[in-house]
Amino acid sequence: VENVHVGRLVELDVEDESQLDAMCQKLLANPLIEDYEIVK
Amino acid sequence: VKFGVVQFPGSCDHRDALDAARRVGDAQLLWHGDHSLDGIDAVIVPGGFSYGDYLRVGAIARFSPLMESVIAFAGDGGPVLGICNGFQVLCEAHLLPGALLPNTSLRFVCRQVDIEVVRDSDWSQAGVTLSIPVKHTTGRYFAPDLDPAQVVFRYANGQNPNGSQNDIAGVRNEAGNVVGLMPHPEHAVDPLTGSADGLHLFESVLRERVG
Repeated sequence: VENVHVGRLVELDVEDESQLDAMCQKLLANPLIEDYEIVK
Repeated sequence: VKFGVVQFPGSCDHRDALDAARRVGDAQLLWHGDHSLDGIDAVIVPGGFSYGDYLRVGAIARFSPLMESVIAFAGDGGPVLGICNGFQVLCEAHLLPGALLPNTSLRFVCRQVDIEVVRDSDWSQAGVTLSIPVKHTTGRYFAPDLDPAQVVFRYANGQNPNGSQNDIAGVRNEAGNVVGLMPHPEHAVDPLTGSADGLHLFESVLRERVG
């Protein structure tokens, strides 16, 4: 096994993508203790 | 002094917090959906599982209508205490630095611990050691850029139950009116249950307000 990833997947249907990063910063992740990645 | 104890859906220690606060003053519940703090002098954010702790511990509660008022109250210098889940909520609300991570054991811990009071605040007076219970799964304090002067409570030597950095059990904001800790002072207010040391925090507010 080379890599293992355990995490949380949040799926959102949005028309306006411009606020996705702010949503991650403010609520969906706590940047102090969590990394996040936006996949479109 | 009139204490307000916040109740979120999923709070479970608000009853003990009310009882503890009533041993030194008046106390009432504050409902998460309200905006008004109803003229109270000090706020306690109690333990439990606010909003089910979905997403991340304390993450959702911070957006409740009442928390907007609590944040403003804290900004005006009002005393605010967060216990366990309440501590997690205050960190998520950025009223306190840092965050809480899962215990290094990855297991729930429930035991009596000694904590040293190392710093004055609205809720503490340095120089004593308190015997108080902890009960949590996500209590490992983490704050890489923490100012050491903000540490208020430390687990006594060898008693760190969760792997928190530098044995930190609780911290304050720079002004000292906002304090959070993982141990439960509201569960230690009567010798019947082994210790009344938890009264220290509630009496500290009394001294602060009454002079």
